[in-house]
Amino acid sequence: MAQKYDIVVIGGGHNGLVNAAYLARAGKKVLVLERRHVLGGAAVTEEVFPGFKFSVCSYVVSLLRPEIIRELDLPRHGLEILPLDGTFTPMPNGDYLWRVNDHARTRREIARHSRLDAEAYDEYGKAMIEMAHFVKPIMSMTPPDPTTLDPKGWKNLAFLGRRFQKLPDEDKYNQVQLMTMSAVDFLDQWFETDVLKATMSASGIIGTFLGVRSPGTAYVLLHHYMGEIDGAFRSWGFARGGTGAISNAIADAAREAGVEIRTEAGIEKILVKNGSATGVVLANGDEINVDVISSSVDPRLTFMKMVGEEYLPDDFCTDLKRYKYRGSSGKVNLALDGLPDFKSLPGPGAHLRGAISISPGVDYMERAYDEAKYGRFSRRPYIDMVIPSLTDPSVAPPGKHVMSCFVQYAPYNLKEGSWDDKREEFGDTVIDTIAEHAPNIRELIRDRQVLTPLDLEREFGLSEGNIFQGELTLEQLFFLRPAPGWAQYRTPIKNLYMCGSATHPGGGIMGAPGRNAALQMLKDI
Amino acid sequence: MTRIYDVIIVGAGHNGLVAACYLAKAGLKTLVLERREIVGGGAVTEEICPGFRCSTLDHATGPLAAHIVDDLNLSRFGLELITPEARVLALSPDGRSICIYNDVGRTVSEIEKFSANDAKSYPEFVNSFARIGRVLAPLISMTPPSIDQPTTADLWQLGKVGLAFRGLGKKDEYRLLRWGPMAVADLVSEWFETELLRATVAARGIYGAFAGPWSAGTSLGLLWQAAMDGSAIVPASHPKGGMGSLSDALASAARAAGAEIRTSAQVSAVAGASSDAPKVALETGEEIQSRVVVSNADPRSTFLNLVDPIDLEPNFLQKMRNYRAPGAAAKINLALSGLPAFRGVNGGDPKTKLSGRIHIGPEIDYLERAFDASKYGEFSAQPYLDITIPSIGDPSLAPAGKHVMSIHAQFAPYKLRQGDWTTRREEFADNVITQLETYAPGIDDLIVAKQVITPLDLEQTYGLSGGHIHHGEQSLDQFFTFRPLIGWAQYRTPLKRLYLCGAGTHPGGGITGLCGANAAREIARDLSRR
Repeated sequence: MAQKYDIVVIGGGHNGLVNAAYLARAGKKVLVLERRHVLGGAAVTEEVFPGFKFSVCSYVVSLLRPEIIRELDLPRHGLEILPLDGTFTPMPNGDYLWRVNDHARTRREIARHSRLDAEAYDEYGKAMIEMAHFVKPIMSMTPPDPTTLDPKGWKNLAFLGRRFQKLPDEDKYNQVQLMTMSAVDFLDQWFETDVLKATMSASGIIGTFLGVRSPGTAYVLLHHYMGEIDGAFRSWGFARGGTGAISNAIADAAREAGVEIRTEAGIEKILVKNGSATGVVLANGDEINVDVISSSVDPRLTFMKMVGEEYLPDDFCTDLKRYKYRGSSGKVNLALDGLPDFKSLPGPGAHLRGAISISPGVDYMERAYDEAKYGRFSRRPYIDMVIPSLTDPSVAPPGKHVMSCFVQYAPYNLKEGSWDDKREEFGDTVIDTIAEHAPNIRELIRDRQVLTPLDLEREFGLSEGNIFQGELTLEQLFFLRPAPGWAQYRTPIKNLYMCGSATHPGGGIMGAPGRNAALQMLKDI
Repeated sequence: MTRIYDVIIVGAGHNGLVAACYLAKAGLKTLVLERREIVGGGAVTEEICPGFRCSTLDHATGPLAAHIVDDLNLSRFGLELITPEARVLALSPDGRSICIYNDVGRTVSEIEKFSANDAKSYPEFVNSFARIGRVLAPLISMTPPSIDQPTTADLWQLGKVGLAFRGLGKKDEYRLLRWGPMAVADLVSEWFETELLRATVAARGIYGAFAGPWSAGTSLGLLWQAAMDGSAIVPASHPKGGMGSLSDALASAARAAGAEIRTSAQVSAVAGASSDAPKVALETGEEIQSRVVVSNADPRSTFLNLVDPIDLEPNFLQKMRNYRAPGAAAKINLALSGLPAFRGVNGGDPKTKLSGRIHIGPEIDYLERAFDASKYGEFSAQPYLDITIPSIGDPSLAPAGKHVMSIHAQFAPYKLRQGDWTTRREEFADNVITQLETYAPGIDDLIVAKQVITPLDLEQTYGLSGGHIHHGEQSLDQFFTFRPLIGWAQYRTPLKRLYLCGAGTHPGGGITGLCGANAAREIARDLSRR
């Protein structure tokens, strides 16, 4: 059979699409196969209820790499990022904390809670930007293999060592702390206001099965500053038309470069002959022969389901089984008749246009985690809400709104019962929690969609409902992601590559894994 | 002002005494000043009631580094180490138990009662940690290299470790890299399926730490233990006569080498440490001069209490204030009228099984819940206990037929949210005894006397800032070249005539003597150049 394509990319998530676009731009004939009827993976917009369009899973653009936006010329392909300004944190005592992009205003707001903290906030911002500069190039490199005997690998390691060595003392100290400490321990050194620490530390736990006091969570605080150093392009916001618009823009760029994209084309099997990938078999039985395969789905699906253990070395299988997913979050999408009215800051206002964070205290956050550790969803969860229809009216009928609630913790493995039985109870808990701050929410809800970790697994192919395709813990990062010795986007199967969030530098709508993998593949082929 | 010494060591903890031995042996005129009336710091034997003597704080060596025992010829000064055949006896509330012995085969047959898979994994677990321990071992007796300007010697040392690392083979190399930052709960579940065994092995990772088994980085405790001893499971080795005998032997060795040791000599300040003539002021008003001052006290006590803050950069002070030392452990020492009967420890020879450590904390979740409480300023309703009954192997500690029991109890946070340690001391102790009753029914009736040492006592009586038994958390951010602070891990301080030699320096807590020995090497080198 004649081969129509050089490369098949499995999965039309944003990383798969980025990967395909870069490969096609280098002259490869690429086919992308997506199981669902829509492109985007976890970066999709769907009209869940008539007239109400939701960014069903991922809901804000945070980390999309600027070089990808530039190189793929995404704005020309329809990408438009709208500002998401600020984070509003209502407190049970009737007060609130409202941080915005305007630095002077945020300072005044924090000073209302603590003068010392307002001063520290400036220093903190500066320090974090320095740190972000240090980390940035690491995001776009292929991780070295520290056990390699190849001098080239050593060069990369030495590069990192020297880079660290050259940092000013103060930055070295901060960098070590960021890489190893808990978000709360780290923030404790800067701030005294509980609600400020709680709401800032929340970014350290999103999508992980860790608490704000768990070591290793400080590092993620940096991500919020990665955008700032990228300058010109606002990298923190909504995509007009929902998160799916990002995927569509990338898909458009890919098609322009010659990529062919098929939806409703799930893969049943990756064909392996003599240790080398030779093609794929689709759910409908079609067989496509191809030289190279790039998989953007997670390693469990790629290897355990599509390849099969019998084709893989034992050690690799053991490592894959040890790779931790442990989904910890759910999503509740609400179609609203009006806007929620917060007790602490009544009426409509700019505070509803940013993120609304239910993270009133460090203990609140930690207790939410404690419950999840023992297999229950949090009775009072951390919730991160946005109302994109305020900024982009196209996603809801006139006067109506969509509200997206990211909820943590919702452990994939429940100690009692199953998620199918607990789904509505979980949804109710979320509404009850929001109602404590905005009591009118109950009357506003026309429809609600509750996505448990089990739903995320079934519907979006995220094993155990982990939104990052695997925990972002230190032992699963960089040269250990997803498996020791296999962090260079290659796999034990020749001509089979990984390009999803389970590879360095991990999850989020970043696109970096897809791009890095493409560059590595082009080097290899 | 009295005559001038070369070195004054503040604090006669075991590390201070080890440093004194080495420095005196190097021909330096050394004076050790101890606040308490006895030497030893955390390694002391005290009479808890007439006739009953107990290692009041630490109840086992870490173990003591073999090269230090040899260098200082400690056996000649009366040190006699007892290393029980049993390392740890893990108890379960249902009356089942696993005893881990020094002997792998014997341990395997214990584990077999629970799981054939685990019995199969155990020897590989032991071997893997032994191999990794051998590679890490040189690190603990070296001075952490400078990151800014590594010397040729630093690079040579690291190169050797690097080569040894390469020698491990890919599988162990990656194990080492993965395990370092991992939660110990994950590490043990990669090896074992029996919850009791998992919890017992994992406990080492949280011993003395403000962390639970699900906290990232707790595997480090196991790796470090392997570096000290070649095994992830700590031995129950203790000196005859209690831990105080070790300190006494060290003191004798130091004196024999020419060092002077003064007890009941509380240092109130260290002055002029950035000048060429530092001096130490005692509570009594006496001032003593020396060429250098070495602090065996923890970093926070040293820099926040002993030194005039005006001598330090604000930036350094700030970092020192942020040095994390939230104590989470307490001690309860019991004088017992007889040997308690533990449920399920009847078969074989109960005395052998009970002669090592006794571990209470049967599940990972149990340990984690115990930790949870401390996050909210409460002591554990069901604490993790690490117990020894040293009088089994050393009858000299108690009257004939009677026993002393030493209980390390976690978690007991230094800062309580409700009440304080003065008012809640008995409640805490009673709860520990109640929990113990589950495992050793009738123990309450055997208690002749009880000593409770809360984190507040650890601070006030034993001088441990925040009541932290390791002189500060041994987490990834306060480790190796970062202990106590990045840039100051070589036993030197911003004050050129002040050094550190306590557990707040590399390689950290535990009765190993390594901090003292490493510090002495650096100090002697500096003094020979001056």
